[in-house]
Amino acid sequence: MAVFVIEDDEAVRDALVILLSQFGHQVSGYPDAESFLTDVLPGEDDVVLIDLGLPGLPGNQLLRWLNALAAPPRVVVISGQSQSAILDAMRDFSAVPVLRKPLTVGSLSAVL
Amino acid sequence: MNDQTVSEARLGSILATAVDGIIVIDDKMNVLVFNAACERLFGYYATEVIGRNVKVLMPEGYASQHDDYVRNYMRTGEKKIIGIGREVSARHKDGTVIPIELSVGEAATTPGRQFVGILRDLRPRKAVERRVSQLQAQLVHLARVSAMDEMGAAIAHELNQPLTAVMLYLQAAERSLKKLNGDSPHDPAIANLLQKGLREADRASSIIQRMRNFVERREPERRWIDIVNLIDDSVDLTLLGANANTVRVRRRYEESLPDVEADPVQIQQILVNVLRNAVEASRGAREPWLAVSTAFTGSSVTVSVEDSGPGIPSEVMPTLFKAFSTGKRTGMGLGLAISRTIAQNHGGDLTVDPGGNGRGATFILTLPAKADAPRRAD
Ligand SMILES: Nc1ncnc2c1ncn2[C@@H]1O[C@H](COP(=O)(O)OP(=O)(O)OP(=O)(O)O)[C@@H](O)[C@H]1O
Ligand SMILES: [Mg+2]
Repeated sequence: MAVFVIEDDEAVRDALVILLSQFGHQVSGYPDAESFLTDVLPGEDDVVLIDLGLPGLPGNQLLRWLNALAAPPRVVVISGQSQSAILDAMRDFSAVPVLRKPLTVGSLSAVL
Repeated sequence: MNDQTVSEARLGSILATAVDGIIVIDDKMNVLVFNAACERLFGYYATEVIGRNVKVLMPEGYASQHDDYVRNYMRTGEKKIIGIGREVSARHKDGTVIPIELSVGEAATTPGRQFVGILRDLRPRKAVERRVSQLQAQLVHLARVSAMDEMGAAIAHELNQPLTAVMLYLQAAERSLKKLNGDSPHDPAIANLLQKGLREADRASSIIQRMRNFVERREPERRWIDIVNLIDDSVDLTLLGANANTVRVRRRYEESLPDVEADPVQIQQILVNVLRNAVEASRGAREPWLAVSTAFTGSSVTVSVEDSGPGIPSEVMPTLFKAFSTGKRTGMGLGLAISRTIAQNHGGDLTVDPGGNGRGATFILTLPAKADAPRRAD
């Protein structure tokens, strides 16, 4: 299973890649949706971790795009925004799990 | 009844029913007439006052000056109050000082000069003024409290990133160490230190959690509102606050604007922040003005506030919307930071055309309006 981490904060992205690799996954990180989309097409068995507050294409737009694929990957949203901002952005995606920052190993492994 | 008694009776009924206090004194300053409204205002019966010097109705300071005033007027004819009317203080029988508006007229009669004073109790007006300033103070307080809220949310958000990274790094380190050593670590001291580090990071994270819960307890309110009403209220509040009645406000509202879905208190906060900045920026202008206009673009409603200030220097632009960036000695530099956060939480934005070269700044608030939003019927 491949895991893709789309997160603009460099330290958070780096730490996520290191930690998730320890779980034995194939992990790659991207600072924004654009660089991710031009690099790979995630498959059905993959997991995409998306930060909501991305520069450029916002996280929920990326999510919409991935959901429209013929074989969409599993998506987990991470966010440091306020509850109301999250609810607002995720209005159309009630089924997608959202992890609020700060993240812990426990919450991560529970959704992966 | 002869004519004399008829006109006296008429005068008597006028005096008795007049809403304003009416006092007539002679040139020796003795009270000749003290009507019913005066009895209510001063707490004296007419019989207690008539024949006495009118000074009994004045507080200390006025009383001693009054003789001089009148004597001076008699000698020079220089009018300080006659025919003008002004706000003065009167004294109730119980010693309370009452603000009144006093206008004085003069009449020459056979026995000599007489002065007629009309008195209006200003306490109801004062009460309104007090209420207004109370409201203002409340508004400022409200703005600050919610500034703290927004600050809390902003700080929580900023701290979350590095804290997330710290916790994940520590957990990764702990796992690496375990993998390296199996279940019995060679160096329990390092594992112990990592444990302690993690525990502290956890503690910091729960502080942020608490801060966030505190802020989020306040559920955001959303209802359909008419933005024009909000703008008018905000303009009133702002001008009221800055004793800025010298600032001319031009309004240009689009004919029929759709309602926007928003929290009225928060939107008003944005408007007051932006308007207050505009008034402050226009302070140096020879004829300060600001212009407020609205527009509907099909998907959103915009409110623009243009001012007659110097515009925003280009070196200020990059940090304009950052918290704690201010160009004023007494500014907190929070107004714009909070306003933009609120606008974005509403799915809108707050942007600026910096102006310059003789043009003032224009701040533009955008709020989404549903395409099928109910348009206001005019
Ligand atoms: N209309 C304007 N014209 C020129 N400069 C402006 C204008 N609006 C804001 N500024 C500049 O931007 C700065 C930041 O404004 P902001 O409202 O965030 O904070 P503030 O007004 O200084 O303090 P407060 O927190 O009390 O509002 C101001 O200090 C001022 O220098
Ligand atoms: Mg301000």
